[in-house]
Amino acid sequence: MKLLLFLVVLTSNIVWGKWIEPPARSAKGYLIPTPDYQPVFPMDHGSHPEHGIEWWYWVGHLNAVDSEEIFGFQSTIFRLAGDPEKSGVTQSEPFGNQNLFLVHTALSDLEEGKYIHHERVMREGWQARSSEKTLSLKVGGVKVNLLEEEDGHKVVTRYPDGEKLELTFKPAKPLVSFGDRGLSRKGGDPASVSWYWSYTRLQAKGTLFRNGEETAVEGIAWMDHEISSSQLGEDLEGWDWTCMQLDDGSELKAYRLRKKDGGSDPWSAVYWIDQEGNTERVYADSFTWKTLDTWTSPKTELQYPNSLEVSVKHPTNGQQVYRLRPLLDAQEFTGNRSDNAYWEGACEVLDSKDKRIGSAYLELAGYGGGLNARLN
Amino acid sequence: MSILPHSIRLVLLILVRTTLRHWKQKLGSYLLLLAIVAVGVGAFNGIRQASRSASANFGLFNQAVSGQSDFLIESPTQRLSTDVLPRLSNLAGDPDWHMVPVIEGSVTALDSENQPAQQLRLVGLDLMSLANLPDLVENKIDFGEDESSWYDWLGSENQVWIGQDTADKLGVEEGGEITILASGRRQQMGIRKILKQDGSPLPDDLVIADIPTVQSLLSRPREINRVEVILNRPDLRQDSGYLKEVEKRLIRELPENISLSPTENRAVDRAAMTAAFRLNLTILSLIAILVGAYLILQALDAAVVRKRTEFATLISLGVSRQVLFITSLLESIIIGLIGSVAGIGVGWFFAYFSAQMLADTVNALYFATSLDAISLTWMDCVFGVGLGLFFTLVAGWLPARDAMQTPPAQVLSKGDWSPGFTWLQKPKVGLGLLLFGGVCLLFPPLPLEGGGKMPVGGFFSAGVWILGSALLAGHVLVMLARWFRPVCTQPVSRLACSRLQDGSSRHRLAVAGLVVAVGMVTGMFQMVDSFRYTIEEWFDIRFQAELYISERGVTGAGTINGIDPTIMNELVRDETIAYADVVYISYAKPKEGITLLSGVDMKAWTTSIKQLWYKPPGSFIAEEGAEPALISETFARRFDLINGGSTELDTPSGRKKISPIGIFSDYGNEFGTAAVDIKTWKAWTQSERPINVSLYLKEGTDVNQIRDRLRLSFPGLDVRNGKELRDVALGIFEQTFKATSALNIIGLVVAFAGLLLGLFSIFDESSRTWLTLRHLGFSNRQFLISAGIEGAGIGLTAWFSGSIIGLVLGWLLVKVINVQSFGWTLLWHVPYIDFFIFGILLVLTGFLSGCLASTYWNFKRT
Repeated sequence: MKLLLFLVVLTSNIVWGKWIEPPARSAKGYLIPTPDYQPVFPMDHGSHPEHGIEWWYWVGHLNAVDSEEIFGFQSTIFRLAGDPEKSGVTQSEPFGNQNLFLVHTALSDLEEGKYIHHERVMREGWQARSSEKTLSLKVGGVKVNLLEEEDGHKVVTRYPDGEKLELTFKPAKPLVSFGDRGLSRKGGDPASVSWYWSYTRLQAKGTLFRNGEETAVEGIAWMDHEISSSQLGEDLEGWDWTCMQLDDGSELKAYRLRKKDGGSDPWSAVYWIDQEGNTERVYADSFTWKTLDTWTSPKTELQYPNSLEVSVKHPTNGQQVYRLRPLLDAQEFTGNRSDNAYWEGACEVLDSKDKRIGSAYLELAGYGGGLNARLN
Repeated sequence: MSILPHSIRLVLLILVRTTLRHWKQKLGSYLLLLAIVAVGVGAFNGIRQASRSASANFGLFNQAVSGQSDFLIESPTQRLSTDVLPRLSNLAGDPDWHMVPVIEGSVTALDSENQPAQQLRLVGLDLMSLANLPDLVENKIDFGEDESSWYDWLGSENQVWIGQDTADKLGVEEGGEITILASGRRQQMGIRKILKQDGSPLPDDLVIADIPTVQSLLSRPREINRVEVILNRPDLRQDSGYLKEVEKRLIRELPENISLSPTENRAVDRAAMTAAFRLNLTILSLIAILVGAYLILQALDAAVVRKRTEFATLISLGVSRQVLFITSLLESIIIGLIGSVAGIGVGWFFAYFSAQMLADTVNALYFATSLDAISLTWMDCVFGVGLGLFFTLVAGWLPARDAMQTPPAQVLSKGDWSPGFTWLQKPKVGLGLLLFGGVCLLFPPLPLEGGGKMPVGGFFSAGVWILGSALLAGHVLVMLARWFRPVCTQPVSRLACSRLQDGSSRHRLAVAGLVVAVGMVTGMFQMVDSFRYTIEEWFDIRFQAELYISERGVTGAGTINGIDPTIMNELVRDETIAYADVVYISYAKPKEGITLLSGVDMKAWTTSIKQLWYKPPGSFIAEEGAEPALISETFARRFDLINGGSTELDTPSGRKKISPIGIFSDYGNEFGTAAVDIKTWKAWTQSERPINVSLYLKEGTDVNQIRDRLRLSFPGLDVRNGKELRDVALGIFEQTFKATSALNIIGLVVAFAGLLLGLFSIFDESSRTWLTLRHLGFSNRQFLISAGIEGAGIGLTAWFSGSIIGLVLGWLLVKVINVQSFGWTLLWHVPYIDFFIFGILLVLTGFLSGCLASTYWNFKRT
């Protein structure tokens, strides 16, 4: 879902991969992320209200400590800034008009084959807040705080029926900043850049309160924090995005921006993060994204290509094949309004011989249309 | 069993050959009979529907937008500081429910000439969070999606959303403005959007805006009224186990001095406010149908009279009495069925025309409400038809039985012989009922949900006494006729008098029907008059200030916004003011229901400001540890403090104990008021907003000049002198009794229709007597005058008996029912002149009815 906010405007005459200087402000007047910015943490884990769009995103795979149960989870908080020019309605602390938050949470119970999820939209105020000074978020049923210990943080996610997931995360690798000169580019529009910081491998530990029981869980997770001020390109239909955590200790992030004509946008990319945290990147001309199988949602009747193969040429290691296979088909996020459904779920990663080589989270968005209407 | 089909065939044959023939011949009479049933059922059903329509909307004003809420989080004063919200934020994060903060208030829209055009309910909701609500997600309301940015959607600081009906009514379009009065200020309200809603339209006085906008328009910053809790899964709303579990989870984390209750409790609380009002209407409409029942009895009896000869012939021919009995009952059922079905339609019309009247009353007395569309439910139809059938069957059973007892030989030989209703000629039943009514008075009032009381004993006594007096009225008729006989020297008057003195069951029945109506009307006369008289007395004593100031345009205790404290401070600084009696009012929560907590200048109230004291200050000493309070009589009766003591009220500062030092009379509300010192009130309620102020001006000041100046300086405030305030109060008072008057008129119209029918029946039964008299030389004119005197005699008897029972009913209403229902001791006042005029009218109408009936009868005969 975070790619939901990869808001891109593309022009055909721009050569991808080359440096484009971003403007200082977006058309609406929000600040555009600047190049060569040296983030200061923990402050930059907090919110950046002068920028139009921002999100914090956690996904991961968990195992029960004392049983065979396995779970996938997603907790995402979006922030959309208010009018940069005027105050709008009367200022009010509990009912603010400067930031709007969306929260999406999901839990995949892979043993029971159940997927629970919920969505809330809240304005800044008594139900939603984010700190500008540190990682401190409270939006609806998701509460995030930095831990006193080094780099760790805690995420509490509440699910329907009084269920809850409390996790503490410890980075197993340093924070990764994607893109050139600290800017991740998503399109040819000079303003289509973001600060994109990720913890690609977090050690997760905590408790799941489910079905009236407390289950100790542990596993690995991925966290993104992205800040931008761009708008969605009109010729985009959707995107496919994945983060893979491979058993060899490396990670891979791949996304394909799907155009209305069926092609992939040139700024689609694949990133590798090695065991030390170094990154390599290729763009659309160096990889293919092939559908292996689809799943049709009985609820929305949308068809999702949730089994796929990414075949990509590594700059040094040559051609690589990664196959993704869902651990549960029914991982469709329908939210409050099923007219904006997307698929986001736990997968396993297989090599070209179908041997398991890691775990992944996959997002398939824009298969039901309506994204422009929702985001613009 | 083999006889049964034959019997049925016979019943049907008789029905077609005799009954339907009679219907055809006497179409007018039968139509009148059907009309009586229809009016009786219609009055009852109409009041039910109108009352429902007028009070359905008192619930939670945002329901139309956000859907039915399941729980309410509120403070005892029904006002919450927004400071409490962060303490609720953890609860609000639970995905199983949605928390919807609501602020609401009344504002008055002004027309182009700055005159109040419409009272509007301004409801503030968090417009962004609405998108989460399950009902809204189902596209209950189309908020539109024409704006590209979420913040545009909220509108700017004074912009509101209204329904299409409201926009049409006020003649505004999107982007236009409405001038309003709110909290004592005049302001502009911009129209952000006109809501389109298919299906059920929004109430036509509903205005929605973002919470900060409403807080600003009402000058109530940092304030909301409540937080509504809406379950995320509407399908679990009826699951009591789930609701209990949710309630437990909510209560676990609820901040102190904040209460959680299922929404229906709030509805009960509010409904309790109008319960007595609606109960009164129901009782009145039942009395109307009771009058109708008498008339149905009369009319069916008339039908039997007409068919008596045929019945006698049929019995002589061997038709069993049972078959004839069933035929008669069947006729009653058909009449009951047709009349009731027509009554449902009539009821709808009554409701349509009276709903606004009732809504105005609810508005004036209780809280801002608007009309829901008049709805006719299956239950209404079942009730209406059931009631109509019940009464026609009961009424039809007696004449049917009478017909069966008719010895055929005697009928055929005498023609108009009838045993009549022997029970009407025995005073024992009537006297017994009067006695039983007296015993009923000993029943204690029944406690209602929400803290109200229903005077069951009083209502029973009223019903039983009406019935008893109706039964005894026949004896009064005979007695009066006997008294008048010596003065009747002319043949015409002697004839009329002798007929009345005979006291046939038809005459007795006609009088009984009228007595019920007269008793009801004269009883109500007294109650209304006693009320007016008491209120005028109360006004003379209580309201002695020169000027009275309140929020403009807002009526009804439940819709108080209060005056912006800064405006009040500015106002009371006026140098012409000698003393300003500022009053603060808020809700407070006793153990059951709600009551009012008032903040007053205790020193002035106990010394210089005059009151109509039920028990003057100093009658009791406040209990130790309790706040001394002046309480209204209603409060005292409700919480059993009439002889002192103490009670506890929940306030935003916790549970507080008050103890009366005096009891004052207050006819402003029926849920009671406890007045404490202003400082205490502010501390307890954590509010600063006054409700009204009485200004005592310095000597030599021109009151009207100051009034005009203040009106100009404070256009949002209602500034009135004593006379104007009295006019307003009496206006509200008249409004309150509009429905009562309407029902009185219905009762009287039905009664007179019945009198006409009764007289037709009497003349029908006396056919042979009249024909003999005619042969002996009785002229048409003599016949007409004699009939007129007979009608006048019935009218006079009905007035005499009805007035006696009316006086008793008046006493019952004033001294028992009002005291038990509302806790008000009224000064019993009998409007003798009205009584007298009513009597003359009744005798005259009786005379005219007699003339009319005889003319018609004569016309039919010749």
